[in-house]
Amino acid sequence: MLLELKGVSAAYGKITAIRDISMTVDQGQIVTIIGGNGAGKTTTLRAMSGMLPVTAGEITFEGKRIDGLPASKVVAHGIAHVPEGRRIFPDMTVEENLRTGAFLRKDMDAIATDLATVYRKFPRLQERRGQRAQTLSGGEQQMLAIGRALMSKPRLLLMDEPSMGLAPVIVDEIAEIIREINQQQGLAVVLVEQNAELALELADHAYVLETGNCNLNGPASELHENDHVRAAYLGI
Amino acid sequence: MIELLAQTCLNAVYAASYISLVAVGLVLIFGVMGVINFAHGELFMAGAYAVVTFYADLHLPFLVAVALGLVFVGCLGLLMERALFRPLRDNPLGGLVASIGFLMILQALAVLGYGVRMEHIPPVTQEVIVFSDKVRLPLSRLFVIIAAVVLLGALWYFLKRTKFGWALRASAQDPEAAELQGISINQTARIAMFIGAGLAGIAGALTAPLVSVNPHMGHSVIVTAFIVIIVGGVGSLEGAVLASVVYAVVHTFVTTFYDGVIADIVGLSLMLLVLIVKPTGLFGSADRA
Repeated sequence: MLLELKGVSAAYGKITAIRDISMTVDQGQIVTIIGGNGAGKTTTLRAMSGMLPVTAGEITFEGKRIDGLPASKVVAHGIAHVPEGRRIFPDMTVEENLRTGAFLRKDMDAIATDLATVYRKFPRLQERRGQRAQTLSGGEQQMLAIGRALMSKPRLLLMDEPSMGLAPVIVDEIAEIIREINQQQGLAVVLVEQNAELALELADHAYVLETGNCNLNGPASELHENDHVRAAYLGI
Repeated sequence: MIELLAQTCLNAVYAASYISLVAVGLVLIFGVMGVINFAHGELFMAGAYAVVTFYADLHLPFLVAVALGLVFVGCLGLLMERALFRPLRDNPLGGLVASIGFLMILQALAVLGYGVRMEHIPPVTQEVIVFSDKVRLPLSRLFVIIAAVVLLGALWYFLKRTKFGWALRASAQDPEAAELQGISINQTARIAMFIGAGLAGIAGALTAPLVSVNPHMGHSVIVTAFIVIIVGGVGSLEGAVLASVVYAVVHTFVTTFYDGVIADIVGLSLMLLVLIVKPTGLFGSADRA
């Protein structure tokens, strides 16, 4: 087991956003969290990466407790978070953004290799390596955000709404990239998506969040056939 | 006439040098920490008093006194970060208000320690580079110009070419996303404060023998720095440098050909003009404000 959440709750001030969430992510798995607006999907992800302190429960990664660590320390354990809205550094160049992803690493040679790998995966980023990141299109910015996360050499990738605001063609491209990263590098992925159809198609296992609680989970293919999920999230 | 123009240009370059050292530090602190540091003029003053102490009183070599001033004021910056700005980080006006308080404390300490009189600092060097009969550049002014070019060049290199420089820019542009890359906001805040305060300190230290050192000397410095960073575009280092040059040229020429009071009025009018024509400043972008 790579990541485990045991009875995790988290709050914004006094308002509890997620309650008693338990989930596991195994090596090489894609796990998705689906749910409506305000269900607590992003909050769960933020709790995992240390952006939001947990108020109850435990989070362990590769057997080590990581809840209570600040976000800047969680990265060092091997968890990279691609935040909602991409959050690239707009006034920095593409290459500076990517290299900043490797901020904690000291292995200069391996960083250069990984940079080349990211450029091979995203040739458009290589073409634009000297350009300021804010001049990129939405899809390219999402690629940059993914590439930046990969530069930390993670063993778990947290992705928040990677399809948000992108044209359908680009969404397919991003989906293909997620699948590739997962299959070629054996990287585990936690995917938060509004686009439940896409998420269930990509994922091995899915958790359904509703108003901060998780009462339903199972293999993605099974949930895809679940009546409640079909009615509430797939619009079928 | 040509000679007067040339001499005024030299004076403007000197003024631009120390103004930009102060303004760039102010912008750096604002960019990384989101705090408008009202005590920045008093950090300049503290640098000047470091030279009074180490050079005039203790007779250490001038450059040693300047270096000590840089380190001392940089450490004052670290103190401000830890004691004031970090606990107040979630309060949008907290840092600003605390910095006003710190400004008064520094002024009071200077009055207590040195009195309100003007300090006399023996000239570091009497040497003057003579270009012609009426065009001269005192060596001590040249020091300030060289320091500005070297330090701002080094800062540019640091920000654009090194990992910690990227970390600083990243946390200025998106602190949360920066943390997700493993960048500690506390660490980048410390670096920004040390550099920003240190630049003000070294500007104060280097100009100390050339200006009147007194506990309230920071006032005109911070007003000038505010004009410059508003004209340049709050948050833009390039803008701050360019605006320093523009302001210094305008101010120096008006002072020379009319007088200093009119120069101040023209400087402020310049700021108003920029605010009307381009409210974000010369290099500012709307989303950063």
